[in-house]
Amino acid sequence: MDGTAKKWEEMTWQEKREERFKRWLNPPDVKFISPGAEKLYKERATRFIKAIKLEEPDRVPVMLPTGNYPAYWAGENFHTLMYDYKKGHEIWKKYMEEFGDMDTFNGPGFVPSGKIAEVVTSKLQKLPGLGLPEDSPMNQFVEGEYMKADEYDLFMMDPTDYNLRVMMPRTSDFYKCFEKLPPLRMSIVDPWVAILSDPDIRRTFLTLMSLSDENEKWMSASMEINQYIKSRGYPSMFGFGPMVGAPFDNFADALRGTHGIVMDMYRQPEKLHEAMEYWLNMMIKTSIKNFPMTDSPVIVMPLHKGDDTFMSDKQFAEFYWPTLRRLFLAMIDEGLVPMPFAEGRYTKRLKQIADTPRSGVMWWFDQTDMARAKEIIGDVCCIVGNVPTSVMMTGTTEQVKENCRRLIETCAPGGGYILGGGAHIDRGKIENLKAMMDAAKEYGVYKK
Amino acid sequence: MEKEWADLTWEERREKRFQSWLSPDVKFNSPEAEKLYKERVTRFIKAIKLEEPDRVPVMLPVEYYPAYYAGGNLKKVMYDYDELKRAWLKFIEEFDMDSCIAPSLVFPGKVLDMIDYKIQKWPGHGLADDAPSHQFIEGEYMPPDEYDDLIRDPADYLQRFFLPRSAGAFEAFRKMSPITPMVAIPVTYIIQFGDPEIRQAYEKLLDAGQECMKWMMAVVEVGQAALSAGLPNVWGGMAGAPFDNIGDFLRGTRGIMMDMYQRPDKLHKAMERLVPIAINETVSAADASGCPIIFMPLHKGTGGFMSNKQFEEFYWPTFKEVMMGLINEGLVPLPFAEGNYEPRLEIVRDMPRSSVIWFFEQMDMVKAKKILGGHTCIAGNVPVSAMCTGTPEEVKEHCRRLIETCAPGSGYILTAAAYMDLCDPDNLRAMMEAANEYGVY
Repeated sequence: MDGTAKKWEEMTWQEKREERFKRWLNPPDVKFISPGAEKLYKERATRFIKAIKLEEPDRVPVMLPTGNYPAYWAGENFHTLMYDYKKGHEIWKKYMEEFGDMDTFNGPGFVPSGKIAEVVTSKLQKLPGLGLPEDSPMNQFVEGEYMKADEYDLFMMDPTDYNLRVMMPRTSDFYKCFEKLPPLRMSIVDPWVAILSDPDIRRTFLTLMSLSDENEKWMSASMEINQYIKSRGYPSMFGFGPMVGAPFDNFADALRGTHGIVMDMYRQPEKLHEAMEYWLNMMIKTSIKNFPMTDSPVIVMPLHKGDDTFMSDKQFAEFYWPTLRRLFLAMIDEGLVPMPFAEGRYTKRLKQIADTPRSGVMWWFDQTDMARAKEIIGDVCCIVGNVPTSVMMTGTTEQVKENCRRLIETCAPGGGYILGGGAHIDRGKIENLKAMMDAAKEYGVYKK
Repeated sequence: MEKEWADLTWEERREKRFQSWLSPDVKFNSPEAEKLYKERVTRFIKAIKLEEPDRVPVMLPVEYYPAYYAGGNLKKVMYDYDELKRAWLKFIEEFDMDSCIAPSLVFPGKVLDMIDYKIQKWPGHGLADDAPSHQFIEGEYMPPDEYDDLIRDPADYLQRFFLPRSAGAFEAFRKMSPITPMVAIPVTYIIQFGDPEIRQAYEKLLDAGQECMKWMMAVVEVGQAALSAGLPNVWGGMAGAPFDNIGDFLRGTRGIMMDMYQRPDKLHKAMERLVPIAINETVSAADASGCPIIFMPLHKGTGGFMSNKQFEEFYWPTFKEVMMGLINEGLVPLPFAEGNYEPRLEIVRDMPRSSVIWFFEQMDMVKAKKILGGHTCIAGNVPVSAMCTGTPEEVKEHCRRLIETCAPGSGYILTAAAYMDLCDPDNLRAMMEAANEYGVY
């Protein structure tokens, strides 16, 4: 950094974000295969950046709902990706060549290593071949009341301890023996070290060590394919960021379950608020503050239980939105771009969620009414979406194009729009994805 | 129908714990041993409850003493678990006592070596081979700007910041990522093992664990042998005052004194944070041990260290909270007031009647009896000098005076001012004799 440059903590959030955008545009660790690829990469990333900033790019950028579709396209499936990283890579490379022009593209996503998943089991998700039929298109989350109603205090009292000695044994048979671990103390000699000789605990740690090579292989494979894709000129939207969701969802999804959280909203609302507050501050401190420079500043955040049908507007205002909003603000303050993915429908929430700094957040909608979205938050947030998944998977190319055309006409004027699907597809026709790209080029060009 | 635990008063809970203390899960050596065991435990229970027992109960002031009595020393029993066992079993065999504590604080020397323990010196490791005790190395292991990290996620702080500083084997733990953000994603725990240094750390720790278990077995065996011989355990668990947890281990004396002036709010917050954790883990430890007495060595609240005003502001509130939490679970705190607690007597009286045993080191026991008598059981305090260098007659005379002062009306346990390591065995016997001779109600 030269002497005139401002210190990070003295920058405004827009300045910090500019630094991150610069890094997105010029990824230092990517070696482009040709000047042409580099040029395309920059054009594409610029298109997204302008949309985020609510400026008009050359044309509407597109986030194709590709997901892990290439596996299906190649006659393989999720299960293949879990076990054969190499094969996955070949497929992705071939698909990329076959498809050609895309504004963004990524390697296989959310695919765990099968070899590890077999051993390090989790009751929280079923996988193809591990609880689901082998040809299942994706993993399945298994909700439950993993944290009991009276354990909020226990969780907040010492969260790492709770995680190690209560949640891990409860959610994974592999870690069952961690129940036997004594708490960490300032004087560690006796109970904690001695318990390591327990045969179950010893075996667990030895297994983890023996699997670590496999885990490294799996992680570097994922890194490798993503670098390969970038070097061919396709920017990524995903900043390899933390898994951050709404504080409400943190408790509703994995800890208390839908049933549990609904009871808590009535029976112990204060406890829930206290816990969300605690979690929010924890996440800001551990996962948001001093967030490293990554290839993209966009943080994708899947949202679950705040949608129109799950709770009332009043409940959303009380339980869901305040901590989520403050999480957004903390990210924005670090120069990051939160991209909440509003699964379900958010039409009723639009008025509330408009309350964030202009251009700070980009909203990706699943089934939300996009005309209303454009009208209510179009001046404040870039919006993304939402060709119905049903059309993408089963419609004709004409239907796809028609859907795209209407969306572009509604949402694109003035900038701040990214054409996308309502959700990723796993099966379908490559022609429909191509039709979406064509529609952007045909209908989405901004007139100078 | 029997009441649920949650519906019991603290006295009822304590009664339940007393009952299990009276009937340990052990096979007694003889009906006589069983009878003696019950008599001894009853003696302590009555003293705690301020009822008159048959005679004044005694806690012989013994810590590493059995090592020397058996002809060895601390170093020898730290490194040789067979010798540890032999020494303690010999002591159990040959002494008449009201209680016996397993040598759980005779840390295993090999394990300390293996994990490169940095916050203690011990015989042969920083201290002379024949040193009779270990030596804690105080330091500012937690810099002041890490208070927030401790407060946010205490176990995370211990794992990633404190342990790597306190033992070489844990050094690589500083490279771990916090695991709390991954709560309910158990698969992510494997990520840390990708780092070769962290893997090596676990390899070392697993080896140390094997070694530590050998030692643990010896300690457990001694504990069982003592019970079988009819000698009750009076250490069901250990806890400390939050001020000491932070002052001793994390900030050091100098650091915490500065904090009282420079960042009192952080210090208060951190102490508050440790209260429920201390209660929780101490209760589990006591559940496992079957003995409801919780030994609480106190350090930095003593008379010379701070004013009464500071004691009331910084030391007492969270310490009291911990004790109340334990009492509420039916446990009996046994604070060991190292140093001089005379100025604190009025303050520490502010507890439910008969809920605590105060063990005093330097204390005018006349005054202690006057202020706490009829309210709280007290224990103490034959001078260590008399125990170590005096004659048995002198020891007996000290005991007689203490019994005369403190025993009337019950609520007194005879012991020395501190535990000792080297002394004439007849001085220990003299203490028992004195109780039998002068302490009968």
